[in-house]
Amino acid sequence: MGLIWFQIKRVFTLFRSEVLVLPSRVAVLIFVAALVLLPLFSQDPYLLRILILTSVFAIFAASWDLLSGFTGQMNFGHALFFGVAAYTSGLINVHFKIPHFFTIPIGALAAVLTGLIIGIPCLRLRHTYLALTTLAFPLILMGVVFAIPDVTGGELGVSGLDRLSGSRLRDYYITTILMLLLSFTMWKITDSKTGIILHAIREDELACRTAGINTTRYKLMAFCLSGFFAGIAGGLYAHIMRTVGPSTLEVSMSFQVIIWSIFGGVASIYGPIAGVFILFPLAEVLRVVPEWRMLIFALLVLLTLLFMPEGIIPWIRDKIEKQCPRCKIRSVAIRKTCRVCTADLD
Amino acid sequence: MAEQFLEIRNLNKSFGGLLASNDVSLTMHRREIVGLIGPNGAGKTTLLRLIMGILRPDSGAIHYKGKDICGRKTWDIVNMGIASTFQNMRPFRRLPIIANVMVSCLSPRAMTRGEWVKRVEAKAMDALEFAGISDMALEKASTLSQGDLKRLEIARAIATEPELLLLDEPFGGLSPAETDLMAKSIKRLHKGGRFGRLHSEGPAMIIVEHKLQQLMKIVDRIIVLNFGTLIADGAPDEVVKNPEVIEAYFGEGGI
Repeated sequence: MGLIWFQIKRVFTLFRSEVLVLPSRVAVLIFVAALVLLPLFSQDPYLLRILILTSVFAIFAASWDLLSGFTGQMNFGHALFFGVAAYTSGLINVHFKIPHFFTIPIGALAAVLTGLIIGIPCLRLRHTYLALTTLAFPLILMGVVFAIPDVTGGELGVSGLDRLSGSRLRDYYITTILMLLLSFTMWKITDSKTGIILHAIREDELACRTAGINTTRYKLMAFCLSGFFAGIAGGLYAHIMRTVGPSTLEVSMSFQVIIWSIFGGVASIYGPIAGVFILFPLAEVLRVVPEWRMLIFALLVLLTLLFMPEGIIPWIRDKIEKQCPRCKIRSVAIRKTCRVCTADLD
Repeated sequence: MAEQFLEIRNLNKSFGGLLASNDVSLTMHRREIVGLIGPNGAGKTTLLRLIMGILRPDSGAIHYKGKDICGRKTWDIVNMGIASTFQNMRPFRRLPIIANVMVSCLSPRAMTRGEWVKRVEAKAMDALEFAGISDMALEKASTLSQGDLKRLEIARAIATEPELLLLDEPFGGLSPAETDLMAKSIKRLHKGGRFGRLHSEGPAMIIVEHKLQQLMKIVDRIIVLNFGTLIADGAPDEVVKNPEVIEAYFGEGGI
């Protein structure tokens, strides 16, 4: 009994000294709690549907950040992974009646394979050329989709997929919890030693090679990992919408993910997720003024980027937290001294 | 000794019409420090880049410990035990300095050197300590001055624990006092041994440098390149008296 009490006290102390000291960590905690507890207060199907799609796109945006924000392989055709996984899941679900908890991983594996296939020719390309080349891949696949309408359904796409689950509420919990788990996984990857190497590849690839790192392997790994996470988002999307059309491969899809990520703040994983959670519901809210919707949206994004070039989340974080000039550990902005080394913060 | 430590045979490389390396041949022993001098554009950096596998030679062969390393990938060559620094420093600017060195510590060569180097932060810290910038370990690399960037380059190179170290202008942009300090560090490194968790194999070195006074103190041998051609190879005292070298490098006035 005493041991259990000791452990509880230990966890509580850790919680108080590690989580409650930083507003950003508290914000993440509140965000997670709000997502999990939301259905207690409202089970409005429209609201849940928006949040389900938001979660799916949050996975998608975070996977773009893993490849383009961290590794610096600027991908302008990220919809490719999404579309390939969505089509794979849809086709095998409709034609072979394979249940969704197999089709989504199979779709993700197809996206990994795609990542490998487009990663190899993209290895030698950099910056603008890489962006333009990757932009072409989803368009090529869209051409293929239109060329064989017997298999892919052409413009109408594949329809009649299985539901993700019977009820909207269960859908909500599946996507939300998957989103939290996968985001945490991605954040852990970027926070590890592998993450340092990915950062280094973005900064200077040649210097990374002369440090003895096999950059080819790490770049391909980034392509595959990013493809895997984007693929899971694609498979989920297919089963939520219950139809897969060429819209999953559109250029607008690739660009939307970039807008979300840059708005939220690249190279941070949580930035793009926050970007999706702000911009996607906002786009829905703006539906009340359909004529002005895109204009307001564009203005908002432009103004944000003008005044917060690093994205909204790093900007807010800099306002509420200060970095200690000596030990580089963050403290609340209202503190005068660092919470660890007691150096002056100003 | 049957096989040379490093053997370069008839190396040719041209960029368009410019012959950057013209039939260069040289050999090195395991514990030798070689100075590489020559006027600007003589092909010194090109030679280092050819050894590192960043550039491919048009013809010729480079043998390192009896193995042909021509055409191998740069990271393979680094993992065989050759490390180099860049003349124009190329740090990972937005990463903390310690992370810059950790990248080297995470290379397969550094990671397979026993259980006790698995804590890469500690090893990276020791490399920084050796280079003399450990007090700035948490700063971003973009905040460093030129001299400190040179040290960071050295720390990054020695973190892979090389057996052959190629230094491209290690004294460039350093004050006389800093130059002396750097020369001392290089000598200490050449002696080999353990610096904390960092192990020095006592690497052979090729040093490209224009500050001849300091270079003469640490090298065993000097090689002179001019227009991609090797024009002199010998002990420092002999080389500086060589009339061809004086004409090509020192100019009319001599040293």
